[in-house]
Amino acid sequence: MIVIDAASPTPPYEQLRAQLAKQIQDRTLAVGTRLPTIRRLAADLSLAVNTVGRAYRELEEAGLIETRGRAGSFVSAAGEQALEQARRAAHDYAAVITSIGIDPVEAIRIVEAALGRPATP
Amino acid sequence: MRQPDQTDPKRWLAGVWLERHGLADVEPTPLLAARLAVRRRVRVADSLLLAAFIVGAALTHVSVLGSDATTSWLPTLVLVALVVGLLVAQWLLGWWVRHVDRRAGARLPRRVAHPVQLGWSAVLGRPYAVFTVVTYTAALLLAASVLAVPDPDLRRGATVVLIGLTGAAVGVILQLRNVLASPAVAEDEASLTADVIMRVEDVRALVTPSLVWTLPAIFLYGESFGWWNIASIGLVVVSAIVFCLIHFRTTGVGTTARRAMVTR
Repeated sequence: MIVIDAASPTPPYEQLRAQLAKQIQDRTLAVGTRLPTIRRLAADLSLAVNTVGRAYRELEEAGLIETRGRAGSFVSAAGEQALEQARRAAHDYAAVITSIGIDPVEAIRIVEAALGRPATP
Repeated sequence: MRQPDQTDPKRWLAGVWLERHGLADVEPTPLLAARLAVRRRVRVADSLLLAAFIVGAALTHVSVLGSDATTSWLPTLVLVALVVGLLVAQWLLGWWVRHVDRRAGARLPRRVAHPVQLGWSAVLGRPYAVFTVVTYTAALLLAASVLAVPDPDLRRGATVVLIGLTGAAVGVILQLRNVLASPAVAEDEASLTADVIMRVEDVRALVTPSLVWTLPAIFLYGESFGWWNIASIGLVVVSAIVFCLIHFRTTGVGTTARRAMVTR
């Protein structure tokens, strides 16, 4: 289910992108699932076609969906590969942290800083 | 458990509808009540339209029975006008439903949609789709076969059936497309489920073959009794039995809607 709240401070395209990305990553939307057309989703969510188009474009750039011409947009297998790559990198990072004896809380702060997010207290 | 609202008949009926579809805990909102009310009115109007069409076609058929009007184009023209009138009126009824839905959706501060496109097979179901195609095809083949019988009244009747069924089939296809393509009107998971249930109900109502059951049985009558009469009655009996079997053996509207919403 995708929810768009007009009163939210988050822009509608970001609400849509984030929810689709989450559902693809937690496999609620399986690889190969056909997404609604841009026009259809725009009508369902009462959004402008460009807004949905921007969300789809960003998902495509992130490798989470792929557009197959007139057939429509599908959940990409590349999304799963990207997740697997991230898991492997996290595993390697955890191994380095353990070998050099850095505190796990500090290690998470380093990751948050690298992601450009404020560190959790 | 929600208490039924007896003060507002529309909301009370919406509450009954929700209970019937396993959504007893959902509040019957004015939005849902309005959407269901317009569908009830449209179904009544649609039945009246079909009745008017059958009466009109019958009067046209009777007006030329026994006369030597085999080459007259007027009855055919009247029939075509009746079919076009039926299609236009059905399209307007569909437009009315979509208009009420759109107006209701525009008032929602929050919109909810399903991330997977609902296809015709998920909403209508293969048994209903196959049944519809087979019954229409059988009725059209029956009428086309009767055209070869050397009885002018019977051939005129077969023409009525062919024109009527072709028009009805076009109408069903166009309306199915509209039902499937119309935007979801929902603000939460419960109203999204109700929206899909309404779609399933709408498409099942659309594919009920009222004209397939009535047109051949009424119009395929000539100067003598023949195989076409038995075939017409047989078509009604067999397809009505099959329709009942499909209705009782396939999953209910609520379950079909919930299955259609499952993303994988």
